[in-house]
Amino acid sequence: MAVTPELYAKLFHRALLIRRVEEKIIELYPSDLIQSPVHLSIGQEAISVGVCEAMKDGDLVYGSYRSHALYLGVGGDLAEMFAELMGRIGGVSKGKAGSMHLTYPKKGFMGSSAVVATQLPHAVGSAYAAKVRKTDQVVVCVFGDGALEEGVTHESFNFAALEKLPVLFMCENNQLAVHSHLHERHAFKIENMAKLFGFPYTRIDKGWDLTEVYETCKRETDSVRAGGGPRFIEAATFRYKEHVGTNDDFHVGYRDRADFEAWVKNDPLVQDKAGLRAYLAGVDAEIEAAVAVALKSPAPGIEELLTDVM
Amino acid sequence: MSAQLAVKADVETVSYANALLETMDNALGDNPNCIILGQGADDFKGIFGSTAGLADKYGHNRVRDMPLMEDGMTGIALGAALNGVYPILTHIRSDFVLLSANQIINLIAKYKYMFGGLYELPLMIRTVIGRSWGQGAQHSQSLQSLFAHIPGLTIVVPSSAQTVLDTYPYLIAQHKAPVITFEHRMLYNLDFEVDRGQFLNNPLTSRLVQQGSELTIVASSIMVLEARRAAKWLKEHGITFDLIDVHAPSHIDRRMIIESVRKTGKLLVLDTSWTSFGTTAEICRLIAESEPQALKAAVRSLGLAPAPCPTAKALEDLYYPNLANVVDAASALARGKAAHGIPLPPEKTMSDIYKKFRGPF
Repeated sequence: MAVTPELYAKLFHRALLIRRVEEKIIELYPSDLIQSPVHLSIGQEAISVGVCEAMKDGDLVYGSYRSHALYLGVGGDLAEMFAELMGRIGGVSKGKAGSMHLTYPKKGFMGSSAVVATQLPHAVGSAYAAKVRKTDQVVVCVFGDGALEEGVTHESFNFAALEKLPVLFMCENNQLAVHSHLHERHAFKIENMAKLFGFPYTRIDKGWDLTEVYETCKRETDSVRAGGGPRFIEAATFRYKEHVGTNDDFHVGYRDRADFEAWVKNDPLVQDKAGLRAYLAGVDAEIEAAVAVALKSPAPGIEELLTDVM
Repeated sequence: MSAQLAVKADVETVSYANALLETMDNALGDNPNCIILGQGADDFKGIFGSTAGLADKYGHNRVRDMPLMEDGMTGIALGAALNGVYPILTHIRSDFVLLSANQIINLIAKYKYMFGGLYELPLMIRTVIGRSWGQGAQHSQSLQSLFAHIPGLTIVVPSSAQTVLDTYPYLIAQHKAPVITFEHRMLYNLDFEVDRGQFLNNPLTSRLVQQGSELTIVASSIMVLEARRAAKWLKEHGITFDLIDVHAPSHIDRRMIIESVRKTGKLLVLDTSWTSFGTTAEICRLIAESEPQALKAAVRSLGLAPAPCPTAKALEDLYYPNLANVVDAASALARGKAAHGIPLPPEKTMSDIYKKFRGPF
């Protein structure tokens, strides 16, 4: 499916919103308004934007602790996101979730977990429920390359393949698990792991390319919906910031700034000057308005401490 | 107890396994979106009879044999529950559920609270506590207090067919939260007198099984039966006691226990697990914090020897508290001295007795 100029504008606008939201978080962070670990998606926005745009109403998606982009990708409310990060009652989860556990069920984003790979069986389970209930849902599971090392991933892939479940596995390969490189962690090729379970495998090399990401995701989600079982996308991407926190970390020595600079040369959110001219001011105004709403929301009171435990 | 029940018209004899099978059958029949997932759930043994025949009746898609994937299938249950299905997981030994502990403790227990009440996770995880015939260290554990420690989980340890029949339908149809049950393997083949006319406003709490005067015994799972057998023995020697079935370690009836101890002044706690940090410790905490002045004697608790379970029968028989241990502890409390003068039953091990005796209880 070709990307029209209108659709490209939508994808660019959404990716820019994510980028600028995260840059706002960087700006706010020293003020301690956000008292929680943040795992920024800067550099990885295109993946979430593309895969979410490929979803239909009723489809579900699961993510990890690095899910600011996924939340905004499905169209999560911006003020509720800032309020959530600030621990306010007006947050999407009343401040009890924070940055690492964003969710937005109204748009099918069913949760994010701060324990690596735990969301894989959740996506598979929702897909099994879709099969039992005979819905035409596709369930998308977004995870990083590190998740492929966990045992539950093997279990989840096996069951999804056995049952030919309607699930799209989207691996965001940023080559890093905290500070450890892929080559230090994987004795296997990701493609081979997907093929072990018979998943049709697609690799996106240009993980910055909104068009390629969207077109691939659209084709793959359509194929999943048509039946025939799970499919697997590996998308190369780049984490611009440190694993957790708001800083650059090229100086500490585990990765090379040159790789980052090569990636940025292709980053539309840096290079597309016309796009930035068209949308930057509007996006920033939207963010300022959302922050203002979030700041007006009070902290949760003691009545919330024991609410929703059971 | 049976004399009182016998006058009612709707009393019948039901085995623990058949009570479970009935609740599973009704759960699948009542809700087309209810499924059972477990290793061997659809085979000829059917989780010791508790799912026997259900795959043929409802389809292998709804009663599904699972690959060996305890961790994954628990996450699958979470994801299925979020998409409109009520999943029931089965584990033929509770020890295996430790492979699911990450999903249970980090995810399932927290999903509602962590996301500010946006989600409910109605689901059930059924596990079986093994005992006897050399189950050994990894097929015999009673892990209910480990999970009852975690906020957000509902834990049930049914002691009889009656408690299964009055609790499971409620849990499955009305309790919109994750439940873990610990069913004792030695109870499965036992017959129980079941009162079909019994209605409980709140089946998810402790039960006052019988009343007496000398002491209070609080027990869980099969230890409730041991206490009932001890009651028969001790009655002949003039000792009666209140017997409270914990039933739901996550939903203990604090008032029931406090009121009983206020009346008797003496407390003996029996559990199928170790005593330290467990249900027995929790019951003692309850009294120590709420009503210590009611105690006329130090509390006693009986559970497993503080070791992994040995396989050798000679050691296994020493590992578990037996009827004589219960009678001895209860007598010492009732008489106020270790040399209580009450004869002890000659029985050495519960498992030998239950091989011959099927009930009804």
